[in-house]
Amino acid sequence: MGNFLVFIAGILFLAGILFIKPRAKQDLKWKTVLNWTLYVVWYAITGMGISFIYINSSVGHVKATSTAIFLFLGLSLVLAIILARLLGFLGKTQKNIDTSAKA
Amino acid sequence: MDRRKFLKAGVASALTAGMVGAMKALPAEAAEAVANASGPQNGAKSKLHPKVDYGGATVKFVEHNDQWLGTTKIVGTVKNTHEADQGFYLANRGKYSPEAQKGFYHYHFVMKHPFNNAIASFALSLSPEQMVSGKPSPEKLKIPDPEQMSQHIKDCAYFLRADEVGIGKMPSYAYYSHKAPSQDDLMKDDLSNSIPVTERLPYVIVVMIDQHLETMLASTGYDGISAAQSMRSYHTTGVISVILASYIRNLGYNARAHHFTNYAAVMSPCIMAAGLGELSRTGDCTVHPRLGFRHKVAAVTTDLPLVPDKPIDFGLLDFCSVCGKCADNCPSGAITHDRDPVEYNGYLRWNSDFKKCTEFRVTNKDGSSCGRCMKVCPWNSKEQSWFHTAGTWIGSKGQNSSRLLKTIDDMFGYGDEQIEKYKWWLEWPERYGLPTNH
Repeated sequence: MGNFLVFIAGILFLAGILFIKPRAKQDLKWKTVLNWTLYVVWYAITGMGISFIYINSSVGHVKATSTAIFLFLGLSLVLAIILARLLGFLGKTQKNIDTSAKA
Repeated sequence: MDRRKFLKAGVASALTAGMVGAMKALPAEAAEAVANASGPQNGAKSKLHPKVDYGGATVKFVEHNDQWLGTTKIVGTVKNTHEADQGFYLANRGKYSPEAQKGFYHYHFVMKHPFNNAIASFALSLSPEQMVSGKPSPEKLKIPDPEQMSQHIKDCAYFLRADEVGIGKMPSYAYYSHKAPSQDDLMKDDLSNSIPVTERLPYVIVVMIDQHLETMLASTGYDGISAAQSMRSYHTTGVISVILASYIRNLGYNARAHHFTNYAAVMSPCIMAAGLGELSRTGDCTVHPRLGFRHKVAAVTTDLPLVPDKPIDFGLLDFCSVCGKCADNCPSGAITHDRDPVEYNGYLRWNSDFKKCTEFRVTNKDGSSCGRCMKVCPWNSKEQSWFHTAGTWIGSKGQNSSRLLKTIDDMFGYGDEQIEKYKWWLEWPERYGLPTNH
């Protein structure tokens, strides 16, 4: 089971790379690096969070589970929003679509 | 030679050296080398348990000499103590309160719970002198390789279901000066029938058994199951030590088992000498890097030729000096909040109030005995997992990182929780009072 979950996590990580690749490259190199770094950090925190919550809830550590949901998933959500904004999934994309519609 | 040729020559040399090395090593030796690379190895390597599991802690091997027993500093002459001067026997002798004397008499504080009684009564059957010691066989096995014999003894212990085994140089001060007389003599505070301990054997084999994680997670630490957790490990280590000692005597060497119902030595220095723990804030209990407080031990002293393990240092002194979670949670307030260890009987330790500790354990009306310090300690308050491994790695890296581990441990609520789904035992609170007779 553990090996299967690691395999799934690896597949999802690669799928995420393929998904953001078209949007990750920016004019400035530091922006491209920032996008990829944020993706890796977001994935690591989300993965650790899910693992931490799963193990703690299955053992029965109630406070650890609820604190981890708040902490890890909260961090994951904030990072996901920032990353989505930088990649143009939020806000920027809408603007692009509007511009192209006018053109 | 240009740069490209130089690099090519370097790579070719490295490959050649690697291939020659690989051809020289037999497959078994190569496998052994890989296995050895997987973790630190202390003393002889067991075949049944080749990977020494210290959890996540970074462990260093340290010295055992006249100034140090592992990380415990020896600052003077450590005197051999009388068994009757340890906490429970002081209660028995009436040196504490009359309630404590009643609570300890015939181990009432354990026996009052029927399950604890069942385990402890079995452990008492291991107490007669003929169980723990005897004459060695006249036919002596020749032992040309003490390391091989050490490996064999470790494998014997693992075969007999020990969780951890260590071999140490026996510190002479770990022996009691005298064994306590009978409980009836102790009730009269008459020590005239004490038995002098004259044995001085060079090695000690220590076997360790886990006190059971899930049970500890469900317990308050001082309810009905508390004494049973100790008894679980005491009776099992007792059985292993008695069998090991008997086996060694059958090989023609002297051996004496020391276990819960018949000690001739104090266990903490033996544990440290055998590389199975460091002395903790409680003052008399040791912590193992993986099992933490959650263990009990028994030992075999012997003159069988062995190769001793080294004492270990995994940063517990730094950790205990900043954590103090056991002291914060001790229901009797017995564990000291002092920042640093102080001198006691020629060595440095944290000096807990053993009167308070003993009084609480033998008169506890909420259960049977107490192990709250064990329950809350961050080293053992959770299951083995990547984050516990990471946590103990952090905790073994000095005071600042220990402070961080303690903060994280508190933030996630580990240690002082009771996980009801594991509560499997019977409580019988009507029996938890003091006996009416005596």
